[in-house]
Formats: sequence, C-alpha cells, structure tokens
Amino acid sequence: MIKLNNIIHSYGTKPVLHDLTLNIEANQLTCLLGGSGCGKTTILRLIAGLEFPQAGQITIEDKIVTENEQILIPPHLRNIGFIFQDLALWPHFTVYKNVAFGLNERNNDNVKDTVFEMLDFFGLREHGEKYPHQLSGGQKQLVAISRSLALKPKILLMDEPLSNLDVKLKRKILEHIKNLKQNFDLTIIYVTHDHKEAFAIADKIVVLDKGKIEATGSVEKIKESENKFVKYFLEY
Amino acid sequence: MNRKLIKHPLATIIFLSFIFFVVFPVIYTLGTALFIDESLNDNLLLFDKGTFFLLFKSSLIAFSIALLSTLLGTVLGFLLYKTNVKFRGFFKVSMLIPLFISPYILAVAWKDFFYLFFNNTSFISSYIGVILVLTTIFTPLSMLIIGSALSNINAQLEDAGFMITNFRSVILKIILPLIKPALISSFVLVFIFSISEFSVPAFLGIKVFTTEIFTQFSAFYNHSLAILQSALLITMCVLLLLSERKYIADAPFLSIDSKGTRNKSYIIKNWKSLSLLFLFSWFFISIVLPFIILFVQSFKDGTSKFIQAFELLIPTFSNSIGLAFVGATIIVFVGFTAAYFSAKQTGTKKIKSFDWLLLMVFAIPSTIFGISLIKFYNQPTLDFIYSSYAIILIGYVGKFSFISAKLIGNAIKQIPNSLDEAAQIEGITSFTRLRKILIPLILPTLFVTFIIGFIFSLGELGITIMVYPPGTEIMPIKVFTIMANAPQSLTSSMTLIVFSITLLIITGFYFIVKPFIKNYNYNND
Repeated sequence: MIKLNNIIHSYGTKPVLHDLTLNIEANQLTCLLGGSGCGKTTILRLIAGLEFPQAGQITIEDKIVTENEQILIPPHLRNIGFIFQDLALWPHFTVYKNVAFGLNERNNDNVKDTVFEMLDFFGLREHGEKYPHQLSGGQKQLVAISRSLALKPKILLMDEPLSNLDVKLKRKILEHIKNLKQNFDLTIIYVTHDHKEAFAIADKIVVLDKGKIEATGSVEKIKESENKFVKYFLEY
Repeated sequence: MNRKLIKHPLATIIFLSFIFFVVFPVIYTLGTALFIDESLNDNLLLFDKGTFFLLFKSSLIAFSIALLSTLLGTVLGFLLYKTNVKFRGFFKVSMLIPLFISPYILAVAWKDFFYLFFNNTSFISSYIGVILVLTTIFTPLSMLIIGSALSNINAQLEDAGFMITNFRSVILKIILPLIKPALISSFVLVFIFSISEFSVPAFLGIKVFTTEIFTQFSAFYNHSLAILQSALLITMCVLLLLSERKYIADAPFLSIDSKGTRNKSYIIKNWKSLSLLFLFSWFFISIVLPFIILFVQSFKDGTSKFIQAFELLIPTFSNSIGLAFVGATIIVFVGFTAAYFSAKQTGTKKIKSFDWLLLMVFAIPSTIFGISLIKFYNQPTLDFIYSSYAIILIGYVGKFSFISAKLIGNAIKQIPNSLDEAAQIEGITSFTRLRKILIPLILPTLFVTFIIGFIFSLGELGITIMVYPPGTEIMPIKVFTIMANAPQSLTSSMTLIVFSITLLIITGFYFIVKPFIKNYNYNND
C-alpha cells in the first residue's frame, strides 16, 4: 500500500532518517513506536507530502508520490487523512464547519448529509454548533477524526493524537480508533511513544530509534523481540 | 521576470511599489547629494567642526533620554508585568498614551506649565527640557519592550533560582541577564527615536541635528549640506539598528496577544503603596498634568481663544481623518504582505527581504525621509505626486509599515502551522486558506494595526512638515505653522483640541476593540 524506499531526510544539518525503507500493508493499523526525535512524525509528514526527503522514493498504491526532493502528487490528491498532534481544529469554525470545510471546498454533493453522518457516528451531533474551545479533550479528538474521515480517505495518518488525554479517555478513544479500520476500510498509521497504546491497537508495530528501524512485526513479535533497543524501550 | 515573482503577483506589485515610491527616493537623494554636482570630496568639505559638535550634542541628549527611559521603563515594566500591583490592567494600557500623541503636544503643555507656574520658560526651553519631555514620551516604549520580555520569561527559570538564592540575586543574576536583549533594544530604539525627533526641540527652540537639517534645507536652501548631514544621521541610525538587528527585526514586543510560557507574578506586600504611588505619579505627570495644563491655559482668558482655535482647525478635520484612514489601510496591506512572506518563509528571497527594507526606512529620521521624498518627487514627471496628498501618504507608509509588519507578523507566527497543513491536506487552495483560515484568525490584529496606523498617521509631523503641498489643511501642520506667531493661549487651545481628539479616538477604538479581541481569542482552550 505505502512504500518508503531508501529515505534520507534531515532538518538543516541534523539527520533524521538514515536510508529508511518501510512497507505499510493495506487495511492494517501500523504503529510507529519510538522516543522523541526518532523520526516517526517525519515519516508521517513525508507520506502526507507536507515535506520531501533529500533522497528516496515514496509510493502509495504503486504510484510514485514523492521522489528525492520532488513532490509528484500533492497532499490533497493522495487520498489521506491526517490527525495532527495538536489536532489543528480551526478555532474560528464550529464543529460542523470544521468537518464541512474540506467537503465544501471540493464541491462535494450532500455535504450536510456527510457531515451529519460523521457527527452521528462519533456522537457529536449535539455539539455541531459549538466551537473547538467549548469542547472537552475527547470531543476535540473525535472532531479531528470526523473531519479527516469526512473526505473518505483510504489512509489515515495519526500523529500522537492521544498525547494530551487522561488514561480513561485514552482507552475510550483507542476503542474508536480500533473500529475505524473496519468501519471505514482504512489503512492507518499511528505514531506514538507509548508502547501500551501501540500494543492495544496495532496489527503491526515498527520500532524506531535515531531514524532507523530497530524491529518490526506483530505485537507478540515485538514483545518477544531480542533487540537490545526494543527490550530497553519496552522496559519503560 | 523571475517565475516565483509572478507566482505572487500582488505581493510583487506591493514590494516593487514600496521600493519605487519609498526606498528609491532615499537612495536617489543620498546618491545625488554625495556624487552629483560636485565630487564626493568637495561635498564632504561642507562638513565643519560645528556639524560634528552639534551631532555630538544631539547624541548626548539622545543618550540621556535613552538611559532615563530604559531605567524608568524597567521599573514600570517590572511593576506592571511581573507583580500583582493594583490597577495594572488600566496602567498597562493608559501608560502607552504618550506614544500615540504627537510629541509637540506634550512640549506645548510643558512649556505652558512653566509659563503658568514660574512665568519663565527658560528651564524647559533648554537641553534638559528636551530630555525631560522626550523621556516622558519614550518611557512607555521602553516599558512595552522590557515588560514584554519580562512576561515571556519561563517561570520555572525563576523558580529554579529561588531554590538556591534570594530575591535580589534572582533579579540581578537571572532576570536581568535574561532580558538583556530587551534592555539593549530599548536603549537603541529610544536613542534612534530621540536623535531623530524634530518637533520637540523645534518647538522648545533648541538647536539639534534634525532642526539644523531642517533650517539648512527650508530656510537657507542649502540642500547639499542638509542632505549630507542627513546621510550622516542615517548612517548612525542604521549602524545602531544593525547592531541590534536580531531583536529589533523580530520585535517580539510588538504583539497584540501572546501565547507564552507560564509567567511568574510577584506578590508585593511592603512595597504595595509605594509602587502604586509611583505608578499614579508617573501617570499624572506624563498624561493627566499635560492635559490639565493645556486646558487651563486654553481657557484662562475665557472661551474666545478656544473657539478661534476650533474654527481654525475645522477645515483640517476631514482631510486629516481621510488621509489617516487611507494611510492606515495601505499600511495594513503593506505590513501584511511583508509579514506573510517573512513569517511563512515562502516567496522569493527578494520578497522576504521586504521585512528588512521596512526596518531600514523606519530607522531613517522623519525629517530626512521627508527631504528625500521632496528631492525625488520634485520633478515634472512626478509632479502629480509632489503636489498632492500622495506624497504625504507615501511618507506615512514608509514610516509606519515596519510597525504594522511586526504586529501582523507576530500574530501570524502564533498560529500553528498545522492549521494550514490540515487545510492543505483537504485540498484547500492557498488563496482560500489565506482568506478563510489565516485572515479570520488574525483579524483582531489587523484591526488593531489599522487603528495604530491611523493614530500615528493622524499625528505625524516630522515628514509631513517637510513634504506638505501648499494649501494643505491637516491638523499637525496647522498647529505647528501657527505656533510660531500666535499667542500662547491659541497654540494651547489648538493643541488641546488635537490632544482631545486623539484621546477620544484612542478611547473609542479601545472600547470597540476590547470585546472584539475577546471574541476572537480562541487560543485559550
């Protein structure tokens, strides 16, 4: 589904990804797991087309979307949704408008029906006229997910979306995320530094350290990994 | 033409217009003064000992003002931004009033004060007088710069200090070193503004470098010397500015609303009364007293002089307000263009350098900028600008666009990139993102910038006095030209009217803007 081949990327003189190659399979929830600065968010941004690498190639459904320093297919034509770490809800739009904005701008038919379908699915209909600052942390999360899914993407990229929530709320939202894959026929890439979160939802986990893949596999495989870094990382 | 330039057509037009209408006149004037007519050496011979001595004297005055303003600004900044002193919200706003009032208004008021109480104005009509008047005007600027730096200190840094030492050491060894860039910038900016100030020394009859340039240019028609003197002053100001370019170019103090780190506030117990006394005294001296004095002086012989002053000013109201309105609108456009390309790090290097050009023009003393505009536009092909209000508008735009660019730029920087990226992923075009996401989010700042541009333009004198076409009826010019020959009470009445109008506009806008900003403050979630 998504292939990253020999990606080299740096911010200024600071190298972030070193010749990274990664395959993401379709209809799976893949977790990119690692500490701060390991390059997991950069991978998401490269897949989204918000950044380009210094070298390497990215393909989505066998189409080359990025090659070396060139973005061949812009973000909005990649059929992806992105949940940002800060959620990036437009503060001057109501919940309804946050979800409808992209649909309106793309001249979609039945904007109203699609928005209400999303709000109903996530139990947000009664909050449609509220502004983001009037919502709880969990509700904001769900609005961000609704907004991304309203455009019916095939891939959903999630950048530590639960980092600001308490444990109870995290569990609730994780249940929602688990169900998204089936309900919306999605390929999900989920970035986190919390292995418990990854173990709770992932079909496949990719453990990263300093821009390199240390281990990859199912939850069980990662738990049993003999890799030194993985063992160390899972201890904490 | 460069492809990228065409990619941003509106920005390119604004950028090139700024270069042609504002920057080029300065370069042209300096170039002709230095190299045409005579050789460079012959021209430089026009400088004599007197020129350098006057520059030294002016520098000494500016140095004193910068030092006093920075000291007072530090105390006021600390009290208002770092303590729980009462009425700090009120003081934070009201203390800024002198910044928005034309300096000559306060000079008139202080001269009246000495005239009324001592029947002698020799103390105020001196170097010390210039220093005192300008200190009351520029202290709010220092307070703003230093206060903003103080409120941006991460509270944990101070808390960590208190774990190991006492209050005095935290102030001296942690807080002051942390705000050092702000202290230096305050000093440099006030120095530049003071050495460039024309109206206060001119009204008080004190010969300084700017008044000398004005005299050489307007009275003796010695344009070459005036421009050479100007070049000397510009060089000095630009060099000073460059020495502090990083902090001043970023101008973090020019921000309407900031989402900073947690700010530590000190509870003052024993010093409470003393602090309040100091704040009230400063407020009284810098704002209330000048107003009362102008009022008393205006009405001491009845209402006739006030009525006469009002009648004299009536024809200027619509022109002044109209010009300030158009000027402020252009200033917002230019500021937005520069800020957008600078903050978003997009566009060509040329457009990004716009920010720097604004800063350089801002550093040029008003009188000198005015001379440049006259020299450049006083030719047959450009007479339509020279003999119209357009030349005044160009002056406003050149002088105040830097402030506008910084206010807007700091607002743009506070908006997370992810808001734009989220829309980008949804396929929203860059123009729609600008129109529906960025502009609505910075609307309060755009509005406040417009108001500031409006008030500054309304009171601008330094450039306008040089460039105004014959028959121009605008407020500051009318007051300033009448000052020389009119009785003191008429001058005071006119000044009082201008002062009151400015205060009314500031107060009116404040009450309009306050709820508007609150409604748009989405960042508190």
